[in-house]
This record gives sequence, structure tokens and C-alpha cells, in this order.
Amino acid sequence: MLNILDVLMPTIVFTVCAILTLPLLRFVRRRKLNPQLFMVVWIFISFAAASVSVLHIATEYYAQPQPFLNISSVGESMLPLSSSFLVDAVSVYMAMAYLVVGLASCLYGVLYVKSNEPLSERYYALILMVTGTVMAATFSGDLLTLFIFWEATAAGSCFLVVYRKTRKSLEASLKYLVMIIIASGFIVYGLSMVYGLTGSLNFWTAREALMTAENKQLLVIAFAFITAGYAIETAIVPFHMWLPDAYTAAPSSSSAFLSALVDQGSYYILMRVLIYILTPPAIVNWPFALAIFSALTMTVGNLFALAQNNVKRMISYVCVADIGYNLVAITSVTSLGIMANLFFFLVAAMETALSFMATGILNDRGLETLEDLSGIGRKMPMTSLAFVIAALSFAGVPPLAGFVAKYMVFTSAIESNVAWLAVIGVLNTVLQSAYFLRLIHYLYAKTPKNSIEAKEPRKLLVPIYLLVIAIVLLGIYPALALNLIYPAAGQINPLIP
Amino acid sequence: MQTPLLFVLLLPSLSVPVVYVLGKKSAKIAAAALVLVSLVSLSLLLMVMPTVLSQGEYVESYYWIPMLGSSFTLFVDGISLSMAIVTLVLIVAATIFSVNYMEEKTSLPEYYALLGFLTIGLVGVFITSNLLLFYFCWELMLIPTYFIIGGWGYRESYKAAFKFFIFTHAGAVFVLLGIGAVYMLTGTLDMFQARDLLATVSPDVLKWVLTSFTVGFAVKMAIVPAHMWLPDAHAEAPAPMSALLSAVIIEAGAYAVLRISLGTVYPSMAAVGGREFLYVLSIFGVLSAFYGAFTALAETDIKRIIAYSSISHMGYALFALSLFPFPEGVVGVVLHLVNHAASKGLFFLTAGSVMKQTETRNIDEMGGLASKMPLTAVSSAAAAFSIGGIPPFACFMSEFIIFIGAFTASGADSFYYLPSILMLVATVFSLAYVLRYFWKVFLEVPKSKIVKKAPLLMKISMVLLTVFVLVLGVWPRPFIDLISSVAFK
Repeated sequence: MLNILDVLMPTIVFTVCAILTLPLLRFVRRRKLNPQLFMVVWIFISFAAASVSVLHIATEYYAQPQPFLNISSVGESMLPLSSSFLVDAVSVYMAMAYLVVGLASCLYGVLYVKSNEPLSERYYALILMVTGTVMAATFSGDLLTLFIFWEATAAGSCFLVVYRKTRKSLEASLKYLVMIIIASGFIVYGLSMVYGLTGSLNFWTAREALMTAENKQLLVIAFAFITAGYAIETAIVPFHMWLPDAYTAAPSSSSAFLSALVDQGSYYILMRVLIYILTPPAIVNWPFALAIFSALTMTVGNLFALAQNNVKRMISYVCVADIGYNLVAITSVTSLGIMANLFFFLVAAMETALSFMATGILNDRGLETLEDLSGIGRKMPMTSLAFVIAALSFAGVPPLAGFVAKYMVFTSAIESNVAWLAVIGVLNTVLQSAYFLRLIHYLYAKTPKNSIEAKEPRKLLVPIYLLVIAIVLLGIYPALALNLIYPAAGQINPLIP
Repeated sequence: MQTPLLFVLLLPSLSVPVVYVLGKKSAKIAAAALVLVSLVSLSLLLMVMPTVLSQGEYVESYYWIPMLGSSFTLFVDGISLSMAIVTLVLIVAATIFSVNYMEEKTSLPEYYALLGFLTIGLVGVFITSNLLLFYFCWELMLIPTYFIIGGWGYRESYKAAFKFFIFTHAGAVFVLLGIGAVYMLTGTLDMFQARDLLATVSPDVLKWVLTSFTVGFAVKMAIVPAHMWLPDAHAEAPAPMSALLSAVIIEAGAYAVLRISLGTVYPSMAAVGGREFLYVLSIFGVLSAFYGAFTALAETDIKRIIAYSSISHMGYALFALSLFPFPEGVVGVVLHLVNHAASKGLFFLTAGSVMKQTETRNIDEMGGLASKMPLTAVSSAAAAFSIGGIPPFACFMSEFIIFIGAFTASGADSFYYLPSILMLVATVFSLAYVLRYFWKVFLEVPKSKIVKKAPLLMKISMVLLTVFVLVLGVWPRPFIDLISSVAFK
């Protein structure tokens, strides 16, 4: 039987490893050992330990029959104030997905941020710490625990953005911070209302209260506040302004890490709140409103990406567009929609991380705009190939994973009778392939302008090709991930009336 | 061997890295390896031919994505087997042709690896009955084609490749939408199960599914007005790629209309009157046939003439597809696809050979080449006369069957009178552009003096296809038997 310590174990592992990073790194430097090598080993150790604990949760969970496992500090009962955790197929899958993309992006972070830069040890510690808090947020079973861990994640993300303290990154992280504070204001206000009305913040208690309450208007308003707060943190259009700034100004390793874990993790929260608590049509019928936001987010994201000349900013807008695709899947409250959402989450995390990683390598050589990339395809074949694979996967071209993800998303939209949204999504995909093809065009068709030194960093290619292999593998044989998602799809059915 | 069809897909996939590594040593060895793989695949397909002839189909099924109702189902019947065989023959010819044609170019290992990669998609579309796997192979062609056109093409080749990619990918996402809709309506992605299950779905919904599919396929077929990508892509691609584009890739569109639009979705609509759909197909078919033929008459670029002739011939195919309820229509269209593939492939290879030898692509600057390059002239004659529909060359036979179908249809449905007569008129124009081409290039008074010798391997591949075209013309029996073995209702 799982207890609270088991569920918190991945977070504890990451936190302990993060705290130990500082003294250990100092020790390694004093001994004149290779700090980078040490950090690579250290990252592997912490992820291995975390994987063991996640696997423990998974085996224990699948060994028992209950679909939703509530675990709190006082046993299985749901006391109003006890912090509680929820283990179900979704959270187990999410934790595993975080481990995969987290390993690749942490590895890249360690190799990208040179260990002789000032504050680099804090950076290393923080990426581990944020991975831990994201894990805890995934497993949390009540709104308050979720809020606490999520805000901890956001605070850590701010540091990752501001790390190099350039003018732009200070400004961007200030913007990010302000948005987070506004968002958390909304969320806390909503939480206080929910607590006042129902006496608990647990997912299931809140759901029960919403189901049975005679006058649920006030509760619905409270949840509107909570959803709006998380919508800001997810960067749904029109609250998306902070995202392109923050991701462009951050060092590429941070952008890769944030887009893979934090950005994608925020959809998970939106999905939890919307589908598992505010299940339509039983409680509130929100899908139509969300469908409009989803169409808007996709279109705005893609149009702005089309207009960008700076590659990193373009990828940042692709992140915004991806939020739109994910919302399509959330809009469809069906088992296929859940599957589509969870699969898209993983694929989008890998794609965005991969493109930020490739951009990072190019940016290091002073290549920032599309014109700068002219003819780089021949000078840096490995980096360009990885970038092309990410781009084609975004465009939904087989045999890459993006194709299966897009197919599932559109099918789920058709299933829930919003075929118009599927059509908008399809048109957006064409738009997306147009600007990604323009990128490929620059990489291969143009002749290079000036002679730049273009040696490929072998070490950085390792995490990049880890993701490339994963994208190709999931494209040819998506059952690898779908086997894990499938149980979650079955669990949603009893919740929908 | 127990699993021939799996190996037909597996061999080219495995060959890609091998070819790349071999290509680093010598491009010739890489090409030889690729030819060998294609020949083995071809013989594997021929192995299942007796089963197909006696039982009508041959199926292999493997575990893939059961959560999405998809299994890795490899399926051949007479129609798909004919298409797959001619595809592999063309790949063999195009690879042999490439050895000499590409020898002055750089990055040849990449070229041959991409050609191997392309083979998976080209053959894959024809040998599956699972819609998702079909789409997978359908889109798999995009990446290698884009890079081959862009990397080894002429003039602004990347622009042409860009156009090709965007147009066909835009079409393909509509196909994806259609596939999603079929899955939602029936819960299966198998073409044949879906066909039976769609019978209960309301025609108002099916109408949209059918449109979505057909629009997507029509873009690949380059039916007017979605043809804009074709002339550029065909003209700027290296000759072996043009041959494959024109012979296989656009024909995959016609095959898909037959298999999916008409074979899977249309039967459920036919009961409640889906005739208008066929009428629309026939109108667009006539339109494309005329547009292609007229433009080909006006062009002076050797490859653009042939490219426009492809648009014209896809018009024929679409017109023949609109005769779907009549068996002559189906036999005619598949046979025409086979014949057109062989003839058009040969046509592009000979044009490539002419371009290579005279170093020009304007037909006004050529003339009198027949005496200087007799072999190319003979091959080109076989291809051109076949495309023009002159007996006894290949395309004459299939056009003849199509017209038998057209007049049978006219007897049953008076709508078909006008399109059938117009199509007959169009054949006159295709004869005209073919004769003009042959006259200007090979017969007229010579204008240029520089004529290089055709290298041996280019000759071999042209002879190979010429023989194939001639055999198809005088003895189409095996393919007709194969196609007729499909029990179309």
C-alpha cells in the first residue's frame, strides 16, 4: 500500500540531490576534478533514484484495483485540512513523461551552462529542484497542495529565465513574475471561496459539493477565478504576452527546460481542474468557450510565429500555438480526448525542447535570425538535422511523433462534434508547416553569407539525439506511450454523466 | 518466406543506412545495393501473385496501435499489386539511370539514402488496407521528395520543392481529417470494415467526409485548379525524381481516390444518390485533360511539356474514375495508371538524357537529334506515342477500355455523353503535343552541334522501360487479369 512518503519520494529525491549539489560541486572544484563530468553523473544518479521511486508508485498503483488513489497524511480519509495526494493513471504517466523529457533537458542544461560561469551551481541545483516540484504538483490531490507546488515551480522558473542577468532577461522575468502574481491572486481568491463554501479543497470533495449544491453559482464563480489564474500561467491567448518574451530572453537551456516541463505541466493542471472537477455537462458546460480560446490561441500563435525573424522567438510562438492544440484535446471531454491530450503533451514537450536545444547551439555561434541560418545545413549537419526533425514533427509529417499526436487531437475534436475546430486546427497545421519549411529552406537552400566557425559541440548533441530518437520511435510505434495512457482513458468514463 | 509483404517494406527501411554507408565509398555500389533491394522486393511481390489471382487478395496483419483501432495490415489485391509492381520497376529504372545522370553531382550517399527512404513510402501506400498506415506511407514520400528536388534539382529547385511540400501537405491534412472522421463514425480504420460500417451513417455526414478525402487526393493528383505545384516540381527535379513523381506519386492520388473515396466511402452514398459526386469528378477530369494538353502545346521547356501532359493524363484518370459503377471504368483506370506510369517514367528519363547530352532544355534549340542519339530517339518515340495514345503502344489500350466504359455509361446515364465526347476531342490534342515534341526534338533541322554520348547505364535503364512499355502495349493480358481478379461490385 502506498503511503504519503512513497508519493513524495520523487520530490524528496530531487530536492535532496539539489541541496547536495552545492557542497558537492564545491568539493569537486577544490579537488580539481572535472565539474561538468561530475554534474552529468550527478544528474544521472538523481534521475535514476527518482525513476526507481516513480516505478515503485506505478507498480503499487497498478497492483491494486482502485482507479483513483487518495493518499493523505492521515491515512486514506479526506480530512479538510490535511494535504493530500492523488495517484491515478494520469499522474503516473505524467511523472514518467517528466522523467524522460526532464533527463534530456537537465542534461542539456548542465552541458550548456558552462560550469565556470558564475552561479552555475545554483542553476544546476535549481533545475533539479524545479523538476521535483513539478513532480509533486503532478501527484497533488487537493487544490492547495497543487497551488503551493505550482507556485514554487513558477518561482524557480523565474530564476532560470533571469540567470544571465541581461537587460532583456531582467525585463522578461519581471513581466513573467507580474503575470504569475496576478494569476496567483486569482487562484488564491478562488481557493478561499471554495474553502469557505465547501469546507475543503480536496478535488473530490469540491467535485461532490459542486454536484450536490443547490445553488452552485458562487462555486462556479470561484472556479472561474481558479481557471482564469491557471489560464494566465498556461499562456492562453490573450494572456500569452509574457511567454515569448520570457522564453526568448532566457538562456536556451532554460527555455528548453521550461517549455518541456513547466509549460506542458500547466496544461496538466488545466486538465485536472477542468475535466476532473468541472466535468461538463454535469457541472458547468465550458467546452464551447474553451474551443473559441483554443482556436484563437492556435491562430495567434502560428501567425506571430510566421511573422518572426528571430528563430528563438519563432519557437516561443510555436509554444503558444501548441497550447492551442492541447486545448483542442481538453475541449473534447472523451476518453480519446484524454489520450490525445496526454500524448500531445509528451510529444510537444520533446519537440519544443528539441528546437530550443538546437537553437541554443546556433545562438552560441551568433546565429539568431533566419538569414543567419543561411546554409548552416551543410556546415552543421547534425544540429540542423535535429532541428529539421523537430520542425517536421511540428508540421505533423510521418514517421515522426507529431503526426500521431495531431491525428489524435483532430480526431478527438471530430468526436466531440466540434468539427469546425478540427478544420481550424488543420489549416493551422498548414500554416505551421509553411514557416517551418521556410526555416528548412534557409538551412539548406541558401548559400552562407560569411564564414563563421561552425564546429558542432559533440557533447550537446547527446541529449539532443536522445530526443530525436524518442520522437522517431514514438512516431513509428506510438503504442510505447499509448499503453501507459490507455488506462487513463478508461478512468474518465465513469466521471462523465 | 512466410511474411513477404512485411519484407517489402522492411528491406528498403533497413537499406537506408546501408546504402548511405556504401555510398561513402562508391556511389555505384550504393545504387547497385538499392537496385538489388528493389529487385528482391519485386520478386517478393511476384511471389504473392498466384495467391492474389486465385483468392483475390493476400493479407498480413501485425500489432501496431490497437488503442487507435489500427493494426499494421499489409494487403494486396489485383489493383494494388499492379500498382506496386510498376512502382518497383520504375524505381529500379530510375536508380540505374541515376548512376550516370547524377555522377557529376555532390553528396551522392545522401541522394541514394533518400531514394531508399522514398521507396518505403512509394510502395507502402499501395500495399496496405489500414487508413492510418496508408496515411503514414502517403506522407512518408514528402520528406525525401522535398530534399531530392531541392538538393539535386535545377534552377530555383528549393522553391519548387517548397511548393510541392506545402500543396501536398495541405491536401494531406484534409485526408487526415477524413481518416479521423471515419474512425469516429465506425471505430475502425480498416478500409473494408469501414466500408461496411459506414452504410448506416447519414449521407449528410458522409458528404463531408467524401469531400475532405477527395480534395486531399486531388491535390496530389494535380487536378486543375490544384495543379500549381506540379509543373515546377516536375520540371526542376532531377530526371529520375521527375520520373518517380509523375509516374508514381501523382498516381498514388488516383489510386487513393479509387480505393478510399470511391471504394470505402462512396458505396454507402450510392444508395441514396451520390451521382452528383461522380459528375463533379468527371467535369474536373475533362477540365484537367484540356488544360494540360493545351499548355503542353504552348510550352517550349522539354520537361514542362511532359509535366503538363501529366496533368492532362490525371484528367483522363479522374474521368475514368467517375465511371466507377461500371467495371470497364475501374479496369480502364488501373490499367491506364500502370501504362501511364511506365510511359511517363520512360518519357522523363529520355528527356533527362536529351538534356544531359545537349545541355539545353529549350526544344526550340534542339532538332535532328534522331540521327545523333538513335537509342534515345527510339525510347522517346515509344514513350511519346504511348502518351499520345497511338496503337500499339501501352496507353492506347487503356484509353480504349476507358472509352468503352464511357460509352457504356452514356447508354445508362445520359450525363456522360458530353464528357465522353469532350475526352475524345482531348485525345486529339494530346496526340498533337506529342507529335510536336517529337518533331521539334528529334526530327527537325538540327540547331545545336554539341551532342555528348549517352552513358551506358542510362541506355540500359531506357531500354528496360522501353521493353516494358512495348510489352504492356501488345500484351496487357497479365495486368488485365490481375485487375479483373478484384471483385468490384
